[in-house]
This record gives sequence, C-alpha cells and structure tokens, in this order.
Amino acid sequence: MKTNINIFWILVAFFALLTAVYTTWALISTDRVEWVGTVAIGLCAVLSAFIAFYLQLVNRSTGGLLPEDRLDADIDDGDPELGHFSPWSWWPVFLAGAVSLAFLGLAAGIWIMFYAVPLAMLGLVGWVYEYYRGNFGR
Amino acid sequence: MTSTSLSRSLTAPTINRPNIVAVGTIVWLGSEVMFFAGLFAIYFTLRSTSPELWEAGTEVFNVPFAAVNTTILVLSSVTAQFGVFAAERLQARRTGWKPTQWGMIEWFFLTYAMGAVFVIGQVYEYAILVSEHVSLTSDAFGSAFYLTTGFHGLHVTGGLIAFLLVIGRAYSVKVFTHRDATSAIVVSYYWHFVDVVWIGLFLVIYVLQ
Repeated sequence: MKTNINIFWILVAFFALLTAVYTTWALISTDRVEWVGTVAIGLCAVLSAFIAFYLQLVNRSTGGLLPEDRLDADIDDGDPELGHFSPWSWWPVFLAGAVSLAFLGLAAGIWIMFYAVPLAMLGLVGWVYEYYRGNFGR
Repeated sequence: MTSTSLSRSLTAPTINRPNIVAVGTIVWLGSEVMFFAGLFAIYFTLRSTSPELWEAGTEVFNVPFAAVNTTILVLSSVTAQFGVFAAERLQARRTGWKPTQWGMIEWFFLTYAMGAVFVIGQVYEYAILVSEHVSLTSDAFGSAFYLTTGFHGLHVTGGLIAFLLVIGRAYSVKVFTHRDATSAIVVSYYWHFVDVVWIGLFLVIYVLQ
C-alpha cells in the first residue's frame, strides 16, 4: 500500500505541473484560458490527492506492515477475503433491467419511467436488504 | 478442528486489513470527482464564451437564500458525522433524549431532514428562476446552471435514499455490528463528498458569478 500511496502522490505532482503547463500554453497561444483542459487536468490532481490521502489514513490505521509492502512476503499472504458477494442473487440483474427500462423511458417515451422507477426502487431495496431478512435475518 | 495455523508468533503486531468497502467507495468517489469535472468544464467554457449571458442571468439570483441553503447542507454533514461516531461505537439507537445520547438512527434522521430541506430549497429556487424566464432551454447560462446544480441535486437525492436504506438496515437487525457500521460510514463519505462539491458549486456560481 505504501507503493500505491507514492504512485498517487507522484501523479498529483505530475497533474499539478501539467495543469500549469496547459493553462500557460493556452494563454500564450490563444490569449485565454482553455477551461475544459484546465479543469479536467486540475481535478485529476485533486482525484489523485484524494485517493493518496485516504490510502495514507488506511495504511496508518492498519497498525503494521501489510504483506504487499514486504519484500519477503508471498503472493497469497496478501490475498485477503475481498468481501461478501452473493453467489446466486438475482437482484443485480433485476435492478439492471429496471434501470435499462428507465433509460429507455428517457429515450423513447417518458411513460415507461412510471413503470421503470418503481421496479428500480424494488430492485434496490431487494438488493440492499437481501441479507437482512428471511433466512439471513439477524 | 480448525485449519488455521496456531503457531502465530506472539510478538507479531496485529495487522488490521483495510476495509475494502470503504476503500472502494473512496475510489468510486474519485470517479465522481471526474464526473463533476466535466460539469465544471461545461460551466467555465460557456461562461468564458458568453459573459454577457452571465451578467444578465446572475442578476436574478437570491444569494442570501442560497447561502442559507448551503449552510443547512454543510451542517447536515456535521450531523452525519455524529451519526458515524455513534455507528463506530456500535450504538444504533438513542439511550435518552439528549443529543449526546443519540444513536446513529437519530442523527441520520436529522441529517435526512436537513438534506431534504436543502433539496426543497433548491426546487423553490428553480421555481423562482423559471418564473424569471431562466430555464434549461432559455440560453447557455440556464443550461449550465441547471446542469451543474441539477446533477448535484440528484446526487443529494440519491444520498437521502441511501440514508433511508442504512436507517432501515439498523432497524432490521437485533445487534448492530461492524458490518452495519461500515454501510453508515461509506454513506457518510458520499455525503461529505456531495457537500464539498456543493461548496465548490456555490463559490463558483453564486460568489464568483
């Protein structure tokens, strides 16, 4: 994780420098700031700083050296459980279908939304509470 | 019987694994930064190509009203954080009426109410602006204004739904665990992010004009 943090801080410096170069170059060649590039590159620096800063906080709270930062670690030392993923859930498919219908509604006819939005809400609630009810209630 | 190794050295420090849900949420919020980068780019470009539209358009703004609305949203971030503190001590419900005894649910309901007031305020502001003939299709100023603040408003609305889902989860469990605290924490990350984006939008649209 230390390597990740360093890479993101290098990206911050790179994008910050590039923002200055891009803005100055645009000022020299067109006499005005080209806002799309300036904003996009500048916020790339913000994005990198944001992630670097958060990873630093996470790294500090781990309270030790993570396997990925040790030269003598094996690959499977840094192979944690990534999380809990339902192996058989239909809710993501249901929600994706409902959202597709909603966007079809935006494109083809707004009346479709009146059916799609309740279905999407149903899919969202179903997915969020999948492991909070029935057999899995706790 | 267990397959876990029991020979772990006693001197080895305990290493907490990073919370994957929290890190993943931050990386996703990074992509949201770039989404709003696109909107800011649209806004600044249109403002630099037609400054006369901005001079006419910003005259109808009610800046004190927007400032009050902004304050409410910023304060809702504070109450959301108190909800997170409650979630981190695994306290879902209040033990008394005093705010110091509130649990995550009470703080998040308060945050929800403040966020809802912000959205209502924005809808009211839109109604006033439309009555002054500033609409999405009126000119470049209208398009830029409604695209940036509108997408932000949709994000706030999404956050409100997320708060309700987290409150519902807290009600649905008998014992509030770290798993439930994680969903409270990541929703608060999102809420703080949306709040910071609004501070940026407020400064650019209402203060800088």
